[in-house]
Amino acid sequence: MKIKINGLEVEAKEGERILDVADRLGIRIPTLCYLRGIYEGASCRICVVELNNGKLIPACAYEVSDGLVLSTDTPRIRESRRLTLELLLSAHRISCQDCPKKGECALVELCSEYGVEGIPVCAECSLHEEDCFLGRGEICLGPITISGCKAECIRDGKPCEGCRGPVTRRDVLERGRAIYLEHGIPLEMFSRSSRSTAPPHANSI
Amino acid sequence: MRQEYWTLMDPCCDYCLHSASNPCVKYVVCRVRGPFCHKSVMCRNRRQQRIKKVLYGPQGVRINVGASSCGLAAGAEKVLEAVKDNLRSMGVEAEASAVGYLGLCFMEPFIEIRSEDGPSPIYGHVSPDNVGEIFAKYFEEGSVDGAFEIRRRTGRFKDEDKVPLLDELDVWRKQVKWVSRNCGVINPESIEEYIVSGGYEGRSRALMMKPEEVIEEIRLSGLRGRGGAGFPTWLKWKVCREQPSKEKYIICNADEGDPGAFMNRLLAESDPHRVLEGLIIAGYAIGASHGVIFVRAEKPLMAARLEKAVEDARRWGLLGENILGTGFNFDVRVMRSAGAFVCGEETAMIAAIEGRRAMPRQRPPYPASKGLWDKPTVVNNVETLAHVATIMAHGWQEFAKYGTERSRGTKMFCVTGGVKRTGAFEVPIGTTIRTLVCDIAGGPHEGRKIKAVQIGGPSGGCLPERLFDLPIDYESLQEAGAIMGSGGLVVIDDSNCMVDVARYFTSFTLAESCGKCVPCRTGTKTLYDRLSAIVEGLGDPDDLRLLEEVGTMMKDAALCALGGTAPNPILSSLKYFKDEYEEHIVGKRCPAKVCSKLVTYNINRELCVKCGLCAKSCPANAIIKTDDGFFAVDQHKCIKCGTCFITCPRDAVEKR
Repeated sequence: MKIKINGLEVEAKEGERILDVADRLGIRIPTLCYLRGIYEGASCRICVVELNNGKLIPACAYEVSDGLVLSTDTPRIRESRRLTLELLLSAHRISCQDCPKKGECALVELCSEYGVEGIPVCAECSLHEEDCFLGRGEICLGPITISGCKAECIRDGKPCEGCRGPVTRRDVLERGRAIYLEHGIPLEMFSRSSRSTAPPHANSI
Repeated sequence: MRQEYWTLMDPCCDYCLHSASNPCVKYVVCRVRGPFCHKSVMCRNRRQQRIKKVLYGPQGVRINVGASSCGLAAGAEKVLEAVKDNLRSMGVEAEASAVGYLGLCFMEPFIEIRSEDGPSPIYGHVSPDNVGEIFAKYFEEGSVDGAFEIRRRTGRFKDEDKVPLLDELDVWRKQVKWVSRNCGVINPESIEEYIVSGGYEGRSRALMMKPEEVIEEIRLSGLRGRGGAGFPTWLKWKVCREQPSKEKYIICNADEGDPGAFMNRLLAESDPHRVLEGLIIAGYAIGASHGVIFVRAEKPLMAARLEKAVEDARRWGLLGENILGTGFNFDVRVMRSAGAFVCGEETAMIAAIEGRRAMPRQRPPYPASKGLWDKPTVVNNVETLAHVATIMAHGWQEFAKYGTERSRGTKMFCVTGGVKRTGAFEVPIGTTIRTLVCDIAGGPHEGRKIKAVQIGGPSGGCLPERLFDLPIDYESLQEAGAIMGSGGLVVIDDSNCMVDVARYFTSFTLAESCGKCVPCRTGTKTLYDRLSAIVEGLGDPDDLRLLEEVGTMMKDAALCALGGTAPNPILSSLKYFKDEYEEHIVGKRCPAKVCSKLVTYNINRELCVKCGLCAKSCPANAIIKTDDGFFAVDQHKCIKCGTCFITCPRDAVEKR
């Protein structure tokens, strides 16, 4: 049977899922909960694709049928994925600095891809296996700054200056505060009077 | 010793050879119009006399007491006792019988005095104390004074002119009793009464036809699923029938859980055999040999009556192997659900029947190709199946007379909330909301104004008063942002706050979300949190955008219909009542004065008589006596409980 993905007409086999066909074509559809043969419950709804009848369906569970027309990247899909990530984060204990998945977290990658704010720079930093400035006793605003910058400065060897502003979530801020204390960095350093170069939001800790 | 009665179901004489082991095709029709296998005037008369007895009791008078869940809750059990006691003490020979309910919940408990040639009055709001009075008037004075209505005028009773005729009342006249024809008329626990009313004839007719012909008949009738989505019933059956699998299943979805919807309970409690009959017909049409009735465990009477119906039908050979000699095997199991709302979703229901946790799964594959135990399965709603039985008995032409071009037939609606007459009413599809709410249900309470109506329970949307001329059918409601759903209408009057209503329905879906998919699990929580903030005066103008964004995303991406429709109450009220939301967020006040955190209480000095009752009753000691003897509310201490507002004898406490 023939199906059409992103305007590309391809041959598909009976019983194949959209995700299988896309994988074969090298079209990337992000997934989170899907684990072939282990969990195929279509729970996370990250892999949604849009059918030509306007419906959003999960690619991991939807079996292809003849004449299926779908696209895997439209504004609506991106918006749906972005909100799904936001919702996931809203119920997520964000403690990236000491998470066992640190450095290989699909959620963090997707969040930076879809511009979801809420996780600290530390999470992105560890994706690139950078050494921690705090461990070396250098002041870095990574634990309390919102990510999305792909940790560019840190990859250049400079500690985070917090130019993207503070994380909005209180639990993440508190976690950041604890991290500074763990590294023996006194919080007074962040008060504006003692360090004039610190960005304004440093006061928030 | 009590004499065993001969019932219509038993063989009339030794010539009648029917038994469960030696079934006869015409069994059901033969009971009412027979006998066919042997000519005997005596047997015929015996049957006709029995039918009369069933209809009007052995003495020609039968007293029906509405004893279904809603009647029982209003005290029908005691009324039935009182009826029996009074009959005994007055020496009147009449039969007291428990029947289902008429759908007129506003006057429960009711009794009806049915006699062959009398006016058959119905009395509402009966209590054990006034039964005697009613009987004294009826049997001794020959008067129907005090009745709610009478079925016909005979001229034999006094005051017949004072009491309106049932067919002249708005509440009855505009209804079409098609599927609920037996509700409140027959004793639901007696298979005999169902057969006398013409029951199981549709099934007999269906079994004489080919399954394809049955599907064709349903196709012609234009019946669409009454569970909410409105999928054509025949198409579901056809897809399932065409599956190569040998084993197929039919499930009756009796897991009705919407707040404000009880039409399935009404049908299954008042006329369980009709549902069972529809199930058998559906099973025959798709080629299933097993049926499951999945009943909500919170509706025990409904489950018990369906169980009794199945047992009776099995006893008389209407279920089981080789039904009535047609070679069709079919058996039914009644299963009680553990009571999660999501069990009403068909794939979750199948999981529950299989013994797994009730969680929906992604469709397709649809149950019609891969359902219970991975076999083709059809899931039909109680009302759909009752319609099937009625269509097969009366023909599709009768059914298709009602309704609109795209949605045929009638539908039952439950009207609750701020109306004079709450209850379950059956109207043709396409009836306007105004007819249903204002004419049949009697409109708003005195001094109130109807603001909106929430159609379809927590999955539906609210429609404002200005759209009340909209016909109720699947398409036009969907376009307006609501759904027909199972048919619950909650009428919201001006004493309700739309934000609070939306928050209530969201709290329901939040609690009932199974938690499988992200949009529903966290989406309902997010929506609920935002709405809670708004009603507490902590809302932010940005919240409205968030509600809309998350709601739209849930509609698109949620796994099942529960999550996909959960934002409907919010999205529709945002569409029609945005000003109320804005008033909460920007003005920090609740226009309907419902949201307690946004209400302030003040004492009007012009009305105050300085009695001090408000200060005494205040649980927070927030009302203080001022130097000039008046009283004033300390807004910092006030917990907004409203006690002073209720207590003040001069209405001097003002709510703002």
